[in-house]
Amino acid sequence: MKKDRMSILLSVVTTVLVFMHSAVFAADATIKIGVPLAMTGAYAGSGDNYWKGITMAVDEINENGGLLGKQIEIVRFDSQEFAPETVMQGANYLCGEKKVSAVHAGWAGWGQDVRAYGKFDVPFFCDDGAEPAVNVYKSNPEKYSNIYFLTDTGKNQGKSMFNMLKSLPYDFPNKKIVIINTDDTWGMEVGETLEDNFKEMGWRVAMHETVPYGINEWGPILTKIRRIRPAIIHVEIPSAQEVVTFFNQFSKHPTKSILSYGWGITPLEVLSSLGKDADGIIGEMPAGMPASPAPNAACKGWLDKYHALYKHDLPAGSWIAYTGVMLWADAVAKVGDENNFAAINKHIREAGYEGLQGKVMFGENNTLHGQKGAPIVHYQVQDGRLKALATDPPFAPYGGNTFQVPRWIKK
Amino acid sequence: MSLKRMIAILGAFYLVMGVLPIFTGSADHLNILTMILIWAVVASCWDVIMGFAGILSFGQVAFYVIGAYASAILSVSHGISPLVSIPLAGCITGVFGIIVGLPCLKLAGHYVALVTFALHMVLVPFLRGPLGRAIGSGGAQGILTVPPIELFGYAFNADTLVPFFYLTLVLTIIFTLVLVAVIKSHWGQAFLVIKDSEQFASSLGVCSYKYKLMVFALTSFITGFFGALYAHYVGMLSTKMLSMDVFTLLMIMMVVGGIGKYPGVVIAAAITVTINQLLAPLGMYRPQIMGAIVILLVLTLRGGIVGIFEKFLSSRPEGGISLGR
Repeated sequence: MKKDRMSILLSVVTTVLVFMHSAVFAADATIKIGVPLAMTGAYAGSGDNYWKGITMAVDEINENGGLLGKQIEIVRFDSQEFAPETVMQGANYLCGEKKVSAVHAGWAGWGQDVRAYGKFDVPFFCDDGAEPAVNVYKSNPEKYSNIYFLTDTGKNQGKSMFNMLKSLPYDFPNKKIVIINTDDTWGMEVGETLEDNFKEMGWRVAMHETVPYGINEWGPILTKIRRIRPAIIHVEIPSAQEVVTFFNQFSKHPTKSILSYGWGITPLEVLSSLGKDADGIIGEMPAGMPASPAPNAACKGWLDKYHALYKHDLPAGSWIAYTGVMLWADAVAKVGDENNFAAINKHIREAGYEGLQGKVMFGENNTLHGQKGAPIVHYQVQDGRLKALATDPPFAPYGGNTFQVPRWIKK
Repeated sequence: MSLKRMIAILGAFYLVMGVLPIFTGSADHLNILTMILIWAVVASCWDVIMGFAGILSFGQVAFYVIGAYASAILSVSHGISPLVSIPLAGCITGVFGIIVGLPCLKLAGHYVALVTFALHMVLVPFLRGPLGRAIGSGGAQGILTVPPIELFGYAFNADTLVPFFYLTLVLTIIFTLVLVAVIKSHWGQAFLVIKDSEQFASSLGVCSYKYKLMVFALTSFITGFFGALYAHYVGMLSTKMLSMDVFTLLMIMMVVGGIGKYPGVVIAAAITVTINQLLAPLGMYRPQIMGAIVILLVLTLRGGIVGIFEKFLSSRPEGGISLGR
């Protein structure tokens, strides 16, 4: 009797463990692409923005007859908050288990993803935008030749933000800047770049605070700012709640400072929460599509379609994720085999892709540096919406839009 | 649970784990199996400290991360072989366990939880800040080049999944036996007595100070050791390891396994890691489903998975001391 029970117990345990061994078979008539994004946790908002661009591209391809006559099938994976084993599990699951033909990610782990997906040959598109991720690539370019960085590094974006701030048609009352950034790779990279460049220009960095995510009480920092009265306050926090609370508390007793939010202006929740109150804030979007006006008719059509689908303006990540799928699909179509990774990677690197804004080419370290076809776009919030003031490189004013002195300075 | 039954369950579990790689060559599956082994030990340590010793410690993930970072820093910044840095990391974590344990001995219940969770909370700014960078934590970017374990000319890491899995299996079995020995020794009995009534334990001559400190040192050593093993397995570390997601996953293992119902937590590690992985494509539904499972278990089966086994295996009360509440 006891033996029978033990054998049943063993069967239960075995069944549970074998359960995970079961594979889900998908039809061979599709081309599978992996999409590891943060679907839960702190980065779920930006994950959703990438998702919108990726699905838009896949739906377009499928509606037009698919790729090599096959429909594209998306296999999702929740990267959660990018714990190392989760990033690695995503790579093993998508590339090892599901045998996807490409991986389209957004923020994917700031370098951890390069190691995890570099084990495979599958083209991997990420938007890490950070020097450490590129450094992993540089450690073994041959091994990581399947890795593509869809946006420029934080350092280069920081340099572009500096160019924008110094070019503003505005007489700064003094040469003091306050920099606040998050304690992650992105925030620190941008913050340090701005500090170095402003110092070099003869400005005084009166305060440089590195803050953790989740900070909502800005009283002590704002007290210092009000004492300093800087000409510029740059807040580099890629998360909505922090920048929204900062602005709400800042506007109670504002200093006559240009308020620059860097990437932090682009999360959807920022403008949906602040609306026209945010008018005057400056920000940027890497590998973006400027508006309004759109750069050309094709871009306008794309932006209209995006707006019709998702009922909001373009946030960071959507367009470049869309372009990532399209440039991969273009390479697959040219090569004629979705699993000939060597040829696909060679094509992407050498031929680039004719995107909506112009030619898109990966440059040094497989990085899509700021370029005409995928520029860094600098905005100001005007009438509650993002209005492109300039694109970079080359740094140039955009669309006849003019900088407006914020109302808290005019008072 | 009797020692015989405990060994039988663990033996069957690790036997099944040991043969599973024969049936799957998938990197994804092997990765899950390896993580099950690592989490099984980490969760077991938590069960010993919380379920048996009754210390409401929430520092388990922190100890795991300390071990991982310690070994990574020793091997990356100081060129120490992982074969040495891993046990050293265990020792360092053990010392941390004692340091954290000392003030906790003066505290009770929820205050211990607060102190231990504070360790978890301060680790992120420490590792990301200038102090962390000074000792080689890599700051916000973490450490992305943790070397593999070199043994007999072979490299063991995530690129060599099968060898690493079996290396982890051997280490897991060794440390599982250590934990079983502790639970079933007079130490384990002492933990239970202290948990039930510290005053009564003192009247029996059981020094709660000594045993509590010992359980902190032992569990943090083992947890740190496996954190270090993890570091050399994945080859990269970041403070994302301290996210609430990881912490919650470990807590779910405890609830599913049944707190103080060892070896329930070992089986729970397999179930939780597997379900979590299977639900990964479902995005936001994953935490909701995991949460629902926990609520269901708490409401219907407080003894966790072991509660089911106990009901199923025996209708008559077992001799010996009852473990857990």
